[in-house]
Amino acid sequence: MSAVPSTLRPAPARPVPPPRWRLVLVELAALALVLVCLAGLQIKWERLADLPASIGLYTSLMVRGLLNNPFSEPWSGYWLVSLEFMAQSLAMAWIGTVIGAMLSFPLGFLAASNTAPRWVVIPIRQLLNAIRAVPDVIFAIVIMVPIVGLTPMSGTLALAFGSIGTLGKLTSEAIEGIQPGPVEAVRSSGAGPLQLLRWGVAPQIMPEVIAFWLYRFEVNIRAGAILGVVGAGGIGSLLSNLFGQREWDRIGIALFVIVAVTMIVDAISGAIRHRVIAGAPSRPATASGAIV
Amino acid sequence: MIRFSKVSVRYPNGTVGLDEVDLDIPDGQFVVVVGLSGAGKSTLVRSINGLVTTTSGELEVNGQRVDGASKRQLRRLRSRIGMVFQSFNLVTRTTVLRNVLVGRLHATPTWRSLLGWYRKEDVELAFQALERVGIVEKAYTRASQLSGGQRQRVAIARVLAQHPEVILADEPVASLDPPTANLVMRDLQRINRELGITTVVNLHFLDLARAYAQRIIGMRAGRIVFDGSPAEADDAVFTEIYGRSLTADDLLPDVDVELDDAEGPAG
Amino acid sequence: MTTAPPRSARPVRPRRSPLVGVVLIALVAVTIAAGLVIEFDLLPLVTRFTRGWSVISQFLLPDWAFLVRPSTVAALGTTLATAVVSTAVGAAIALVLSLLASRVTNRSGALYRVVKLLLSMVRSLPDIAWGLLFVAFVGVGAFAGTLALVMFNIGIIAKLTAETVDAVDPGPLEAADAAGANTAQRARVAVLPQILPGFASYTMYVFELNVRAATVLGMVGAGGIGNLLAIELARFNYDNLSALIVLLFVVVLLLDQLSGLLRRRLAR
Repeated sequence: MSAVPSTLRPAPARPVPPPRWRLVLVELAALALVLVCLAGLQIKWERLADLPASIGLYTSLMVRGLLNNPFSEPWSGYWLVSLEFMAQSLAMAWIGTVIGAMLSFPLGFLAASNTAPRWVVIPIRQLLNAIRAVPDVIFAIVIMVPIVGLTPMSGTLALAFGSIGTLGKLTSEAIEGIQPGPVEAVRSSGAGPLQLLRWGVAPQIMPEVIAFWLYRFEVNIRAGAILGVVGAGGIGSLLSNLFGQREWDRIGIALFVIVAVTMIVDAISGAIRHRVIAGAPSRPATASGAIV
Repeated sequence: MIRFSKVSVRYPNGTVGLDEVDLDIPDGQFVVVVGLSGAGKSTLVRSINGLVTTTSGELEVNGQRVDGASKRQLRRLRSRIGMVFQSFNLVTRTTVLRNVLVGRLHATPTWRSLLGWYRKEDVELAFQALERVGIVEKAYTRASQLSGGQRQRVAIARVLAQHPEVILADEPVASLDPPTANLVMRDLQRINRELGITTVVNLHFLDLARAYAQRIIGMRAGRIVFDGSPAEADDAVFTEIYGRSLTADDLLPDVDVELDDAEGPAG
Repeated sequence: MTTAPPRSARPVRPRRSPLVGVVLIALVAVTIAAGLVIEFDLLPLVTRFTRGWSVISQFLLPDWAFLVRPSTVAALGTTLATAVVSTAVGAAIALVLSLLASRVTNRSGALYRVVKLLLSMVRSLPDIAWGLLFVAFVGVGAFAGTLALVMFNIGIIAKLTAETVDAVDPGPLEAADAAGANTAQRARVAVLPQILPGFASYTMYVFELNVRAATVLGMVGAGGIGNLLAIELARFNYDNLSALIVLLFVVVLLLDQLSGLLRRRLAR
């Protein structure tokens, strides 16, 4: 690439490959960790051989339960019971998410470094982290069931409290990620602090926050299943009953209901989330070419 | 030899990319295609290796038909055609060497490429390609750490590693500053002359076209409106190709280009 | 201003889309319906508080000695080991499935749709449903818990990674195509390097979820700390229970810190 003929220029030496022993060491350590844990679990490997057979057997039992006419007795009864319990799970998840959203919203502001002073932010953040570390079922067992009793309400409240931790953290992260421009603009018009939050901050974060709420709703539908097992309402109690009695045809129906309802709700929630984040689609141009 | 016989490209929304193009490119020729955006020069270049599917007509590259080729036939064709892109298209998170080895994938069994265990002969070819473009000392550097001109040189090395019969370049210098753009065009020209590889380059800088091309093809609205040597391509011709007189955007900025080893091993 | 501004036709306020009103009404209706289904009643929080307090107060005196019992330590070990193994296995399977679940790397229409549907179904079953299923298939114990978590992990990691694959820079893919690479080579060379950081991050996130989930699974018989929780709950040994809960809490917090550290180092 210069005027000097390439035969006279000394060819640059080829570089040596860089040492990779550190990377290899890390990979081997990770593999060793997994193998040690695997050994520690003391899995009886014969059971793995039985697995395909038992999966086949039970799956066929479940499918047989599904294929029966859902409109004839007693099958219609089973379908109704499954749908009732699933509706209860949905209701618990919905109200739990609503309460959790309402409580986490102000906490999010208190946990964001740009809307609250440091001496408030730090303890609130720790509180949110602490709440996040506790599974919802623990909330149910320790607090809600003793007070409210073995009702769906206690499950709902457990889901609500469980949601506060994650939603609060996500909200505070959204708040910390806003553009300072619009806030400055509102402040310069003489607005007070609450108005600042209402008009400068909230409009920027609402799409993201609403998306979090919907996502948490989807999570809570699943998280609520365990609550039924401890008596706090939802499809979990039906499942643990049916599995305990090994009623495979009814189990098939219950699982089908769970999967179908969850997929439908997920699809609706996902569509709403996308619409909220992406904003409304722009109106098409009229025939004359002008944009309405 | 690349042969277009009444080749058309019609997009589903009605836009015409190529309009009954007839073109013969003999082996070893250095062709530069010019024209406005949307005139069809990118479509022309990309149809040669099937990245753009033609809708009618016959397109043949060194005896192999491109139109109607099956996926396997296309893959084999593309292994014999190298392509250089405007945005370099390197995998920035891996090393230069691994980027060049992409050019050897067609000759590497799948299991080897999945594990990343390339054959010694392929690694040797990759190193030779890097030496030819003068950037071998960066072989183990992450591609993200290179400048634009260096990245394009790695891309050219990737193409050379394929040992192609044809080299295509789709706006290879549009993202580069003028001195670097000239260096890259000179590399392409040098490779064309030393190795005799047919080269088709798509440019919108006219002075570069005139400086480096052996043959210039001007396109407008999907048709070839000019086909001749750089000497014949004066400003009047360009006005006809563009449908307007030349503006400053059509030429590289007037910079004093140091055409010796401006980059060198450190660059 | 003493003179009025020149009169020009004021625009008519655009009509608010009726959709907004419909959505709001639907939301309120759904909330009310849901409240009725669960028999929403906050009164017990107040009226039964004292009765509940007698139970809660037992939780406030954890029996720390319970934690140093060998059975407790073993249970914690089992829970952690389950999380490690099921994350590793689940992540490996999920990586392959995620490539099949993205149009970018899977250009066959039928297989793509099948994989996406299967992953959707796997994700729709809550973790304890998987736990109950595997306990029925292979018996109680950590094996069932591990298998259940593998399914849980596949669902989450595959979806998140597939979304990352959808968003990769298409440039290197084009270069691989132009060089004559086949689909597998293209995925390995042009897609994998781009998605690895995201994939690693999802794997660590899922590991944290696994530790908490392993607890829950244990309550349906899948071994580990959850087993202990269920037993002590059934025996009304609230002091042991609260000690376990505190232990769980501390472990999760420590793992949180650890994974935060690892994530920062990987982002380099």
